[in-house]
Amino acid sequence: AVLRRTSQVRPLHGSGCGQQQEAIGMETRPETFSIFRTQENDPACQSEQHLGQYYTVPPSHFHTVFPHGLPPRYQQQVKTFNEGCVMVRQPALELISHLKRADYSKPTLRYLLYGVKGSGKTMSLCHTVHYCSTQGWLVLHIPDAHLWVKNCKELLPSSYHASRFDQPIQASNWLRNFRTTNEHFLSKIKLRQRYVWTKRESTEEGRPLGELVDMGVSRVKSSSDVVGAVLKELRLQAGGTEGGFRLAVAVDGVNGLWGRTTLKKEDKSPVAPEELTLVHNLRKMINNDWCGGAVIATLSQTGSLYAPSSAYLPQELLGEEGFDSMDPFVPVPVSLYSEKEFESCYLYYLDHIHFHHWLQHPHSQTEEGKKELIFLSNRNPSVLERLCAFL
Amino acid sequence: MAASLTGLLKPWTPRVLLVRWSRYNPYYLEPEPRKEVYHIPETELTPEQKEERELKSVRPIKAATNSVTSSVFNDPVLSKFVNMMMKDGDKIIAKGIITQTLENMKRKQVEKYHKAPEGKKAETECNPYAIFHQALENCKPVIGLASIQKGGKFYQVPIPLTDDRRRFLAMKWMITECRDNKHRRTLMYEKLSQELLAAFSKEGNVVKRKHELHKMAESNRAYAHYRWW
Repeated sequence: AVLRRTSQVRPLHGSGCGQQQEAIGMETRPETFSIFRTQENDPACQSEQHLGQYYTVPPSHFHTVFPHGLPPRYQQQVKTFNEGCVMVRQPALELISHLKRADYSKPTLRYLLYGVKGSGKTMSLCHTVHYCSTQGWLVLHIPDAHLWVKNCKELLPSSYHASRFDQPIQASNWLRNFRTTNEHFLSKIKLRQRYVWTKRESTEEGRPLGELVDMGVSRVKSSSDVVGAVLKELRLQAGGTEGGFRLAVAVDGVNGLWGRTTLKKEDKSPVAPEELTLVHNLRKMINNDWCGGAVIATLSQTGSLYAPSSAYLPQELLGEEGFDSMDPFVPVPVSLYSEKEFESCYLYYLDHIHFHHWLQHPHSQTEEGKKELIFLSNRNPSVLERLCAFL
Repeated sequence: MAASLTGLLKPWTPRVLLVRWSRYNPYYLEPEPRKEVYHIPETELTPEQKEERELKSVRPIKAATNSVTSSVFNDPVLSKFVNMMMKDGDKIIAKGIITQTLENMKRKQVEKYHKAPEGKKAETECNPYAIFHQALENCKPVIGLASIQKGGKFYQVPIPLTDDRRRFLAMKWMITECRDNKHRRTLMYEKLSQELLAAFSKEGNVVKRKHELHKMAESNRAYAHYRWW
């Protein structure tokens, strides 16, 4: 108890930095950035002046917008701090400005976020998903495509197509999360085709989408086909002029869709990704032959199979087949923290107005401690987060 | 012993250049990892420090071991604990477990802080290093027992313990308690964080073991005169 609350060893720039209105903050110390939080919680209104600052995702939105899709360490951090704060960074702002100005009567644009491990690709994707959500788009968020190509306990042969395989558990989990995210759309969208599941069950034309999703969640055996049907319906109806909605397809770890899987058939021969129903349907979604929405994808080496750990460029991770399918796309590089962003992150962890500061070690609050953190983490966001967790 | 012999040592250079052995000629000097020592300007050096610097320019210096850092976050007690946890020389795993333990303790305390009413908030200690040091202090025994033979029988005699011995016993008890007496499926960092938090508030099995040792020593007071040192 003696170590805490000693007079601040490092002089904080500006008086009582932390939660300040932007105008006041800019006047007191224009040359050093002491503000790291912004009140602007709406992603649509954020601009370059908010770069490097943290905004809070309103707690009411949190569970509806992000039932899945956030990195696990970030979820732990949200639980500990009781608030979800995201930093406004350049790649996400760039993506959002593209989305604002795109023409939605033309075929879909595909955006690809790439960068080294831990540079913040998934968080930028989640920021963009939050933007799409607040703008009333329908968001199709696949948290990690790699989860669909590995570690599958049950692989059923598909009833619809002879040579394909179904993954009931993954499909039903995803449908459940999809239902949480897009509650209000489920009753508005009507099906345009009749789907027959078994001899006795079918879903008629004109029924709401919600019924289809509920059926997929309850009947686990046909959930992969339900996913395929949902994707098809959304693709057809996205660009429609009457009751039209914009569709955002957000895929994390898109390089898992082309490549190899670790799944094996009963005769021990490997399963190619095309032979999985979920992957097959998702690939059709990523093609740019529909209009009225956008496809935002992230590359990820962390969960990927048979890819070297130093690979991070699109060409290396997607492979030839993947690159040809994704081509043409808008590449968005995600870099490590700049000096301003690092400063902001450091001040966020040091913040003791909102919570007892996270950086508890007395030396981490000094200048040498800060220099050492820069040296150890090389300004890599995830490495810095892990370091600050135990310091 | 080496300090008294240094004046009598003859100037000596090795025939083969020694690299990182653990036994050195007493002629070798210890390395100095702390940065502050080198930042003192020439004028502020005391005569002893000046002499030491001159000596360092002549004598060879032992190679620094891997565990020695000039980092500000270096903690000798924690390094000792990591070494004691280490199995088969795998320090990466041991250090990883300790960092996970510290993080876990910090998270638990921060959650407790958020749930605590306003008056109690300032009392919850969130610094994992402070908790670790305090918990270790609470586990250190004050007096120990030694097995002394007198007249054909062995008696448990209460003896004073050195600081090093006390620290070693506290760490040893903590580690064995976590390894042996917990549920099989919990991970080590979880077990350690639970035990350290309990020791911080003077509960838990390790503190109980310390109290039992004290009670044994108290009950064997009569044999204290068997100690001859």
